[in-house]
Amino acid sequence: MNRWRRSVGEIQARRRQVSECEQAQSALSKVTACYQQMATCLGSNTDGSSLREELEETRALAHRICTGMHRRLLALLAETEQVQEDREQVERMWVLFLCALENFQQDLRKVSILQETFPLGQRKDRRALVNTGATGGGSEVAGRAATVQTPWVTTEGEKKPDLKSHVLEIDGLLQEMLQRVNVPLWSVEPTQNAWGEGCGDAQDEDDTLEEIMEVEVVSQDNRASGCCNHSNCKLGCIFCLLN
Amino acid sequence: MTIKFIRDHGQHYRPRMACLAKVEAMVLEMQDSKSGVKSSEQKLNITSIPHVVTGQDILAWIANHMKVDAQEAQTIGTMLVAYGFIYPLQDHKKLILKPDVSLYRFQTPYFWPVQKWKADNTDYAIYLAKRNIRKKGTLDVYEQEYYKNLHKWLNHKWDFIVMQAKEQYRAGKERNKADRVVFDCQERAYWIVHRPPPRTHSAMDYGVDRLIDPNAEENKTFDYYRRIIIFTQQAIMRSKVKSTVSLGAILKHMTTYKDHDPFLAPCLPSNPWQTDDSSYWDLNMRNVEIPTKMRVERWSFSFFELLNDPRGRTDFKVFLKKEFSGENLAFWEAAEEMKWGTASSISEKAQTIFKTFLAPGAPRWINIDGRTMGLTVKGLEHPHRYVLDAAQTHIFMLMKKDTFYRYLKSPVYKDIQKKALSPAPHNFTPSQLEQNAQNRKPGINPIIIWQQEEEERAKAAAAAGPIDIKKLMASKLDRK
Repeated sequence: MNRWRRSVGEIQARRRQVSECEQAQSALSKVTACYQQMATCLGSNTDGSSLREELEETRALAHRICTGMHRRLLALLAETEQVQEDREQVERMWVLFLCALENFQQDLRKVSILQETFPLGQRKDRRALVNTGATGGGSEVAGRAATVQTPWVTTEGEKKPDLKSHVLEIDGLLQEMLQRVNVPLWSVEPTQNAWGEGCGDAQDEDDTLEEIMEVEVVSQDNRASGCCNHSNCKLGCIFCLLN
Repeated sequence: MTIKFIRDHGQHYRPRMACLAKVEAMVLEMQDSKSGVKSSEQKLNITSIPHVVTGQDILAWIANHMKVDAQEAQTIGTMLVAYGFIYPLQDHKKLILKPDVSLYRFQTPYFWPVQKWKADNTDYAIYLAKRNIRKKGTLDVYEQEYYKNLHKWLNHKWDFIVMQAKEQYRAGKERNKADRVVFDCQERAYWIVHRPPPRTHSAMDYGVDRLIDPNAEENKTFDYYRRIIIFTQQAIMRSKVKSTVSLGAILKHMTTYKDHDPFLAPCLPSNPWQTDDSSYWDLNMRNVEIPTKMRVERWSFSFFELLNDPRGRTDFKVFLKKEFSGENLAFWEAAEEMKWGTASSISEKAQTIFKTFLAPGAPRWINIDGRTMGLTVKGLEHPHRYVLDAAQTHIFMLMKKDTFYRYLKSPVYKDIQKKALSPAPHNFTPSQLEQNAQNRKPGINPIIIWQQEEEERAKAAAAAGPIDIKKLMASKLDRK
């Protein structure tokens, strides 16, 4: 059966599914990135029960996206008759999904251990939190995570598992995926080149960490190394930076 | 995706780092608002960040809490920084604790070192990509090297890495400015600990991976107890030495070898592992013409050293040739060859050795006592690898007690002592060190060295063979 025999409707449905999966991939990326950002606050002085609740919600969202994507990708890959360019794209998504799952699982493991090490049940536990210098909790990040939408309708009402069983579930999922679908991982070609991510949108007024810290050192020293001692002398500071 | 589900019998577990749990407990105690370390605020241009501590405050707290002196507290503090529990804010690449007003902050528990998991290459790639996104061209040379290599190794994941880096960057931007600075500092400190810049020491270095998980409790089965019983029985049966004797031996060894240990004394001209300059290895090759002074001095420590060093052995051979007593060393070398050679050649070698060295009236008859001679000859009827061991030990002791001391007083040795080189120490600037690191070349192929040695051995064998009188007279007659 060649491709001309397939109805237009089938091809369109497939394309829609593939683009759904792509959206889900970027959604999963967003959610896991937010999860990681919030996880870095665990155990620090900004830790609290609200942070932990937000972590749980984000994890539930990620779980929904993962299970849906897993089902759809399996369905896409299981079809035996493939169009060439479609197959490459779907295989790439498959490999990226595996990587994302593995990355997320590592974060889940870390969070599980941190939550055990720093329990928040009693009052005295709050004294044992590490003063890291952060002031805000992860609520803004949690807000960003919450804006992510799964591209499919969430009628699939699966119960979200608790943390430990989630980790084990991902283990099982990974093993099953590796065994069921025979996609060699190294056959995937990336679409991005090396150093490609640098030239892009993010070159706004963000200073690098080095510059921020440099300026701080100079102003602390008060030995302005050649330029004037005036604290308001912006020009002098820039010269010091160039030194 | 990394292939993790391998069911093999390889070594996959990191060795136990028991100190980590203890250090964690100490860091948590430092946080106490009443009895912990005093903290203040760090003033930056844009904002100010709390919970910053000075080096001397940390030192004072450690000295007080653990009741140690300042030097010990300094070491403990440096360990805290080296493991990554505290990170410096100024001079962030040098992980030491400075006992002055330099500023430090505590690392968040997410970035604490964990024994079970290595810092993943994927995460490092995401971090480098994030730095690239934030501002192009801020990666150091060694980080750019890493980036190139990671792009090659993790090529199939590269889309994921870039996507995740972008998302993490955007997620980070949601937080307020001070928190962003704090998080960036934390991440940077984490990666300096786990991917240290070149020519720095890393506290996370360890030897080899272990076969079993050191954290897993072992089931006390029948096999376990049987192993423990065998181990203790063997420990009881071992011969014991008085501690005064063994300590005396250690002391003697240390005083003799103190200047030759590359950890304790600088090795001349420079340690190749530190400066990437291989002149030390070139000067100390196996068959170099003129050895270094340190090497010659080492030969005088013990006969074992002299024999083990190939250059020393050739020198000793020259001396023995002058004394016409080379048969002892020749026998010893032949016995070594039999010990280390192939199993198929053992009987043949046994025959030649018997004919050359042991038979009554042999051309190079060695002088060993009657009992050993009897044992050896009897053993040679059914030769195995270690049949010459007793005779070899006897000859070794003979050479050591007699010939070795004569060698050390001989003009041959004094001559080589005078000729030996003493190279001047190198003094490289950091830019020269970078240059050296980039000019690293592989050494000589060991096969070539082996071929050279085989040629020399063949020449020596030909020279040591019985001289054909007729040919010698013929050549003399020819000249006339």
